[in-house]
Amino acid sequence: MISIARKTLLHDWRRFLPAAVAVAFSGVLMTVQGALLLGIVSANALYVTQSSADYWVGFPGTQSVELGRTVPADTAAELYAEAGVSHTEPLLIGSGDWRAAQGGGVSVTIIGIESAADAKGLDRVIPRALRNLLSAPGAIAIDAADAGKLSVKLGDRAEINGRAVELIGFIDGLRGLGGVNVVASLQTARTLDTALPADGGATYFLYNVKRAGEGESIARRLNNRGSPPRYEVWRAGMLADMSTLYMLLDSGAGIAFVFATLIAMLIGAVITSQTLMAAVAGTIPQYATLRALGVPFPRLRKIVVEQAAWVGLAGLVASLVISLTIALLAAIYRVPFDLRISVIAGASGVVLLVAMVACMLAIHRLRDADPASLLR
Amino acid sequence: MRPVLQATHIEKSFNVQNIRTRALIDVTVDICRAEFTLMIGPSGCGKSTLLAILSGMSSPDQGAVHVGSFNLSELTDEQRDLFRLKYCGFIFQGFNLFPALTALEQVQVPLDYMNIPEDEARERALLALDHVGLSKRKHLRPAEMSGGEKQRVAIARAIVKRPVILFADEPTSALDSENGRNVIEILRATAKETGTAVLCVSHDMRLLSKADRVLQMEDGRLLRDERPNAVSQSTERDVP
Ligand SMILES: Nc1ncnc2c1ncn2[C@@H]1O[C@H](COP(=O)(O)OP(=O)(O)O)[C@@H](O)[C@H]1O
Ligand SMILES: [Mg+2]
Repeated sequence: MISIARKTLLHDWRRFLPAAVAVAFSGVLMTVQGALLLGIVSANALYVTQSSADYWVGFPGTQSVELGRTVPADTAAELYAEAGVSHTEPLLIGSGDWRAAQGGGVSVTIIGIESAADAKGLDRVIPRALRNLLSAPGAIAIDAADAGKLSVKLGDRAEINGRAVELIGFIDGLRGLGGVNVVASLQTARTLDTALPADGGATYFLYNVKRAGEGESIARRLNNRGSPPRYEVWRAGMLADMSTLYMLLDSGAGIAFVFATLIAMLIGAVITSQTLMAAVAGTIPQYATLRALGVPFPRLRKIVVEQAAWVGLAGLVASLVISLTIALLAAIYRVPFDLRISVIAGASGVVLLVAMVACMLAIHRLRDADPASLLR
Repeated sequence: MRPVLQATHIEKSFNVQNIRTRALIDVTVDICRAEFTLMIGPSGCGKSTLLAILSGMSSPDQGAVHVGSFNLSELTDEQRDLFRLKYCGFIFQGFNLFPALTALEQVQVPLDYMNIPEDEARERALLALDHVGLSKRKHLRPAEMSGGEKQRVAIARAIVKRPVILFADEPTSALDSENGRNVIEILRATAKETGTAVLCVSHDMRLLSKADRVLQMEDGRLLRDERPNAVSQSTERDVP
């Protein structure tokens, strides 16, 4: 079977190029803004995503990791009592008022982490050597990108809540959304923010399990212990997603994203359908010829559908290549860009929908393919 | 002569901006097998409109078209498509080839839609191209061919399905006289060799001598229906 659809597409590719570009454009627009937005709001889950703990135990009903409140000290005992739990440690989140030698006050978030060599808190960004240095009283580390905001250099002294601290290291990958993160040992954190529990309680307890298969049943058991519950257990990924989603909705960015996506969809659908319609309109005599030869109407429709599918596919591939290139550039220039499979899949789905709608509209033009019009 | 197509009392009018044009007025005609029938008449007299109705592309306001056992006006649109696909060939003034396809592919298209197996379709297409003397040009696209070659490809596309009726609407108008004569020769030979009924519209009076039968139209009516050569043959017989 000679594929008129494909041969015409290849022969007349200039005619179809704008449609493919429109598809690619709306795909890139949606993917990039989705990935950018996720990249930005997922910074809200950094404490979780930069730690390798499997499970997090925090105050019941916590919606986002930075909103954690104190859970009592005996929680740790209950975790130790679980035979399947291999490792547990506390993590503190407090706040403070930063004052450097020069510059005004900056409010900072204080993260207190375990100093032991095998600690899991923020272990993806705090190497063992740095963690060791942090065990000195008053030692702190910040993300390198925040040095300017706090007006400090390595080795500088400053004050948090009126207590002396010394910057002993920089972190790469703990840059907050708006606020500044200051990492210290548990002991230092407690002395800096006196509101933090000193009795062995913590904002979170992190734990790992011995066998991955047991994780969910242990979490379920812990979650059903005591009523009213004194703590809640989340899988790390779950707490991260909760925190990201919270920021997405709380900041209004989610609404902006939906709105921008609708616009990208609309623009894509309009341009794609217009160009596809023009392509069909421009080849009406060919369709009329097929009708004259006795080719039934549904077969003409099939040609348009096939062409729209190819256009959609070409646009999709282009969109994917461009999006991946942008992701690469974003990684090089350290722009928060979180290109997840879900973003790609979502944008691709919408783009194919756009191509389909455009195709439906273009098919209407086939009504003009009257074979008798060839006889004049 | 055995008619393959019989049209009786065909009426057709068009309304454009409330002005009614009677394009066909009480036309009754039949088309016969193995005959090269030429339809002549001034521009706008309804020749193309009649062709469209006889081939089932459009419906008459009144009257009936019978082809074999079919009554075209009783068929559904899909059945009329199928009728054209199986029994009719078309040649247009403007060639109407597909710009993206090579000559061979153009000719193969109707067979594809008739669900003829690829190998057989290719073989038949090659034969048809050979028949119009274009087997050496089978890989060319329309943009690479002359007008005469394009029209010969169009003829190959029309005859490859071995149609019962072949409709040609001013097939020579866009051609120079030599190519025009060539095209008419092929159409005439097709009628003779395959028994196809060929109905050709033209305003080229030089073609009159080639026709088995001449239909003359004017203002939507069929004025004359003659078989000039048959008449001359009978006169020849009369004159010793
Ligand atoms: N689709 C149409 N709409 C309106 N008028 C038409 C249409 N087709 C043909 N006509 C009119 O019908 C008459 C016959 O046209 P046509 O059959 O094309 O003439 P011919 O082929 O003999 O030159 C003309 O007056 C033409 O204007
Ligand atoms: Mg005409």
